[in-house]
Amino acid sequence: MNMRVLAPTTDLMPPDSASGTTLHTIVAVMSFLACLTLGAVLTLSRMASEWTEGLSGSVTVQLLPSPQIGGEDQLAEALRITRVWPGIFAARPLSRSEAMGLLKPWLGEGDVLADLPVPQLVEVTLTPGKQVDLAGLGKALKDQVPGATLDDHQRWNRELASFAASSEAVGWAVLLLITLATLAIVIFATQAGLQAHREIVEVVHMIGARDVFIASEFQRHFMWLGLRGGVIGLALAIATLFASSLMWDSRDAPVGAQYLPQLVSAPWHYVWLLLVPAITGLIAMFTARITVLRVLGRMP
Amino acid sequence: MVRFENVGMRYGLGPEVLRDISFSLERGALHLLTGPSGAGKTSLLKLIYLAERPSRGMISMFGRDTSALQRDELPALRRRIGVVFQDFRLLDHLTVLENVALPRRVMGETEAQYRADVEELLAWVGLGNRLNAKPPTLSGGEKQRVAIARAVVAKPELLLADEPTGNVDPDIGGRIMRLFIELNRLGTSVLIATHDQRIIERLAATKILKLSEGRLATTNQAAHQPEALRA
Repeated sequence: MNMRVLAPTTDLMPPDSASGTTLHTIVAVMSFLACLTLGAVLTLSRMASEWTEGLSGSVTVQLLPSPQIGGEDQLAEALRITRVWPGIFAARPLSRSEAMGLLKPWLGEGDVLADLPVPQLVEVTLTPGKQVDLAGLGKALKDQVPGATLDDHQRWNRELASFAASSEAVGWAVLLLITLATLAIVIFATQAGLQAHREIVEVVHMIGARDVFIASEFQRHFMWLGLRGGVIGLALAIATLFASSLMWDSRDAPVGAQYLPQLVSAPWHYVWLLLVPAITGLIAMFTARITVLRVLGRMP
Repeated sequence: MVRFENVGMRYGLGPEVLRDISFSLERGALHLLTGPSGAGKTSLLKLIYLAERPSRGMISMFGRDTSALQRDELPALRRRIGVVFQDFRLLDHLTVLENVALPRRVMGETEAQYRADVEELLAWVGLGNRLNAKPPTLSGGEKQRVAIARAVVAKPELLLADEPTGNVDPDIGGRIMRLFIELNRLGTSVLIATHDQRIIERLAATKILKLSEGRLATTNQAAHQPEALRA
């Protein structure tokens, strides 16, 4: 007996079928776009939460020059009031160079900074978990220290939260559109595959195959196609993200580029991205199955 | 086993290609379906192997009225019928072994369950050394034998063959007909559609169905014995 191991589940659909290279390319592009979009959505979500947490845990006292009080006295008074205020963990004046550093991304390096009347800033850290009467602190500073104002970052918080939420919504909408487009493509490709291999389907149907058997052959074919296309798209997306992160970090990057959000900014984001090919495969599989069963249902 | 009563059939809105067909096929017998090209032989076979539905009349298969069958009951019925298609209809990307094993595979059997049977069957039809060949590399006669092996591998109760000698030379044709006689001896009912007069004259069928312009013109009991073909 010939003991050669036959590929026991050789696809009934020829490997180079209708759906070959073109469909792989389309699915890979869809997966690529989905990875980039998902990366952006995850990063936006993470950044929004980091910003909000960071800003919520601290406030800033800004001391503008005032004719009524000298600079050193103004700072000492502000520190005194702030440090004893209930719920304040620490208050630290920023040096002039630190304040300059905050302006560098916007104004660049140069003599212009030296001439600017940069206000004195005090970084105030709140005790985590404690309620702090920031309105009261702001009023106390305003009343007792001429030129002092308290910035509790609430305006920034609200704007950032709103920006992040709307950007995330746009990202999810794009992902939904990509999914719908992938569904439509797989439906079209399955129907084309059924048409191209109508004879195979008819023969298998006539020798007594149940619809689910034929559907399983198609769905397996399309699942692997979806997975392969998805992995290619993922690989391209990771290469793109990696290249972009290198570019952003490089010295040749445009001014301020390092402050722009990177599309994937946490290692665990890559784990989520790994789901994209798997989901692409599953979408292709179930779409093919439903399409084939619907078409076969019209056969005698 | 198969009974037709006043069956008519048309494709879409076209004219009837079969009209008032009534006959029955007996279990264990060898039948011939004859008639000129275009007489409706293939259409009649399609009705028997449930690829088409009649536009009127009643068809009974294995004691069941086919019009009363649910769609999900049809695969089980089709598995009791083996079909040798006129154009073979082999799957070119599968090997000979995989093609022949297809009916067993759709029944849910694993390779371990069917492989020995398939190899034995292919040896029986003289293709034991062509297991891994692909259909495009086979001759017409070899393709025909693969198609026959595929049709009988699941041990059907009824074997239908549509012009099985139409694409092969007379010598191969004779061997193929002997194969059918042997299968019939082993208990399979056989219906062969052919317009090959030599086969009709030489083969002793228990019943000859003669189709002409969509009508079943005559139903004859055959007079000859198949000795000539056995020689």
